[in-house]
Amino acid sequence: MNIIVPIKQVPDLVEELEVDASGKGLDREWLKLKVNEFDDHALEEALLLKEENGGTVTVIALDGEDIDKALYAAAAKGADRVVKVTGDFEVPVPNHTAARALADVIKSMDCGLVLTGVQSVEDRDGQLGVLLAHYLGMPHISVVTHVSVNGGEVTVHKEYGGGVVAEYEATAPVVLGIQAARETPRYVPVAKVRQAMRSTALEEVAAHAADAGAGSSVSRMFKPESGGHAEMLQGSAEEVAGKLAEIIKSKM
Amino acid sequence: MHEATREVFRNFPVWMQVVFYVVGLATIGFFLYGFWLRYKKYRKGRDAGRFNNLGSRFFKALAAMATNRTVYKRDAYAGTAHWLIFWGFVVLFIGTVIVALDHDFIEPVFKYRLLQGPFYEWFSLILDVFGVLFIIGLLMMMFRRGTMHLPQLNYQRPDLEPGKYDRSAYRKDDRVFLWLLLLIAVTGFLLEGVRIAADGTPEFEAWSPAGFTIAHWFGNVDANALHHYIWWLHGIIVLVFIAYIPYSKAMHMLLDYANLMFKDDMAARRLPRVSEEKMKEGMGYLKLEDFTWKELLDFDSCTKCGRCHIACPARASGAPLSPRDLILDMRTFADAGQPTAEWFRQTFSNGKKANGKKAGIAGDVIKADTLWSCTTCMACVEACPVGIEHLTSIVQLRRTLVENGTMENSLQDALMNIGDYGNSFGQSERMRAKWTKGLDFKIKDARKEEVEYLWFVGDYASYDARSQNMTQKAAAIFNQIGMDFGILYDGEKNAGNDVRRIGEEGLFEMLVEDNMAAFESASFKEIVTTDPHSFNTIKNEYPEFGGSYPTYHYTGLLCKLLDEGRLKFSRKLSHYKVTYHDPCYLGRYNNETAAPRKLLEALGVEFHEMRRCKENSFCCGAGGGRIWMDDSKLDKRPSEMRIEEALEIDGVNLFIVACPKDYAMYSDAVKTSGNEDKIAVKDIIELVEEAL
Repeated sequence: MNIIVPIKQVPDLVEELEVDASGKGLDREWLKLKVNEFDDHALEEALLLKEENGGTVTVIALDGEDIDKALYAAAAKGADRVVKVTGDFEVPVPNHTAARALADVIKSMDCGLVLTGVQSVEDRDGQLGVLLAHYLGMPHISVVTHVSVNGGEVTVHKEYGGGVVAEYEATAPVVLGIQAARETPRYVPVAKVRQAMRSTALEEVAAHAADAGAGSSVSRMFKPESGGHAEMLQGSAEEVAGKLAEIIKSKM
Repeated sequence: MHEATREVFRNFPVWMQVVFYVVGLATIGFFLYGFWLRYKKYRKGRDAGRFNNLGSRFFKALAAMATNRTVYKRDAYAGTAHWLIFWGFVVLFIGTVIVALDHDFIEPVFKYRLLQGPFYEWFSLILDVFGVLFIIGLLMMMFRRGTMHLPQLNYQRPDLEPGKYDRSAYRKDDRVFLWLLLLIAVTGFLLEGVRIAADGTPEFEAWSPAGFTIAHWFGNVDANALHHYIWWLHGIIVLVFIAYIPYSKAMHMLLDYANLMFKDDMAARRLPRVSEEKMKEGMGYLKLEDFTWKELLDFDSCTKCGRCHIACPARASGAPLSPRDLILDMRTFADAGQPTAEWFRQTFSNGKKANGKKAGIAGDVIKADTLWSCTTCMACVEACPVGIEHLTSIVQLRRTLVENGTMENSLQDALMNIGDYGNSFGQSERMRAKWTKGLDFKIKDARKEEVEYLWFVGDYASYDARSQNMTQKAAAIFNQIGMDFGILYDGEKNAGNDVRRIGEEGLFEMLVEDNMAAFESASFKEIVTTDPHSFNTIKNEYPEFGGSYPTYHYTGLLCKLLDEGRLKFSRKLSHYKVTYHDPCYLGRYNNETAAPRKLLEALGVEFHEMRRCKENSFCCGAGGGRIWMDDSKLDKRPSEMRIEEALEIDGVNLFIVACPKDYAMYSDAVKTSGNEDKIAVKDIIELVEEAL
């Protein structure tokens, strides 16, 4: 079974983030990028599945700043193929566009599982997996913490709020949004990454020029404003609900 | 009156002499075969590059061997006994060679006998004296093993429960070795006595005082008849001993001179690089052939003296590592593929019989926990009397663990942080010089302005909240005494000393490249660092990557400025009663033990040494990446043991350090060991500040 893992680079929150002049996005000039943490978990889960059941892992990403480094690191970790989808993409790429472009390429590949990170720090909607499943015509399960594969049967754990976990079964191919891998994503020694840079064939595929639309657009980006106006509502549940409704009405 | 001499084969029929020569030659063949097998094993190893300066290597090792200096160090009793045995054996051996030469060469060829007259008399006297010294040495060693119950000799393993391993074969070997030597000496004297008695106890034999005395015991016995029996008894024991040498701990008599001769003075201080080809195959050691011949020789050189075992802070704190057992397990592994293994076969720590083919070295032969327990403090290498370089093998095996990702999450996080941000704290590179904000002056950016001293600040000093305070003080002092200095601001990265000792060689190389690029972009004369770890790698390891910079630890620099009169103290701090902890990377690694003490003297404090000091200092437990690993499973942290050691000194109230990691470790240890009311931790820099 071939497992496909789409990854992307997101802003590193260790650095202080600045809003750019347009007021609609981050100032990307000094931004430090790193692989989306959830994508890293998706890759780890894919590698663990490969180690258990055999098969291959293909890591795919849209072209963008520092993406080659991330793909080589994935190869160093054990990905069999690394594919870069080239094209003129908006920065950051909206999930709708990304899903459309990725799906076009994935369609032409042998594919048993698609593991995406459940979300990313730069997501507006957290819908990449859903949209991919839509374009690929596959079922989709999100917030997955455990995956096991038995032939074409896939069993997953999906997390719900309040510590509830559901077990789902699906038949491959299926798209899974990974919340956490079973194990901490592995460390890849620098020497291996450097070696992968020399020896790995980074495949490049041009994206079809099909715009899927952004789904949503940013009207204003700003730092969280600290309010300091917390007001504790007192009384019975009904009284509190009534007061709350009044406040909401007044602010609308 | 007899001419002073003796007959070698006294009253021997020819057939008996022939038998002796045949058996003797066969024994020597067996002896050579044993060493040939070992030599063949070393030939499997990689080149170690140790054939430079052969002359100086030869004489330095000869001096160490002749004086027994390395054995005497920190163990006068064992050193004395070893000296007596060593010189007793050497003199008796030379004596035997002279007898053989005289009998089999000089006399038949030149028709002249060397061993007669005054030469024989002095020869006899010297051999008798050294024979007695030899016996005294052996008895001292037997007494030591039998009655002293020394922890270094009890073969207790820190990684296994008693009963889960068997060291009885080692004990057997220890006993056989001593008893064979003692029997050779005792039967030798008996033989001499009986020969003298059979000759009628001539007066000149008084030159053999021991033999002469013994001869009198044979007064009424038929010494002539007895002589053959004792001669053969002595001869057989000697031949057994010769055959036993290359298959037992006695091999150290020959191998350990070679090991001392080929040891690297920079071992551990400068770790070996990984070649491009090796990187492709896997950067650590995977099979026996990956080890260098010197490392294979190291494994055979161990005499199990246990000095590393008792010096090791990991072992002392209950971690599953004993450098001695690690070396011995490696020997067991290395010999497993041999047609004849070590005579006294051992089992691995996990109880499995040695199986050279199947066992993975890092993880199976030597457990991952064992390898990760090492603090890379170098105490084992320093303590070893025979030049074993434990640390190199440990790091080589750690490289395999790193390659396989066999490590704690916290260590993995630290490595990723260092890779991503150049510091282990996972903070932004741009925050590296944030500590400078608290100063009332601006530190020069060495990348923009020319400076005399480039201050390499280091991770802990830059990011650790407690150390930052110390770093600010150092900056203020450098400024106050008019030092022309600058820093690299966000251009500096972790120096890589501990990254390399973790076994992440690729990351280390990346850090070296980045730091050297920063050095190249700056303009300075010399480097000064407040961090001994950075000091070690910049001074000893960067040159191999093309970056040779004169480098100081700040104590060395302040000492120099003190000498030049540029640093003056206006107050004496005589109210402090202090002890000083030598950081591993300053004292043991770089022999800088004088400068801090000179500073303390100039500061006027009342100074007392701890039991273990200077190059014998006891590690805080933070080195080699241990600071990023879990230490909650230890019986007792090395840092807490060290604080207690300081408190053995009556009335000491200040524990002085000269390393940011030490400051963090010991500040914690004082609290966790409940000694806050008794002792406080200070960096020398704080005392300097008070005294200025």
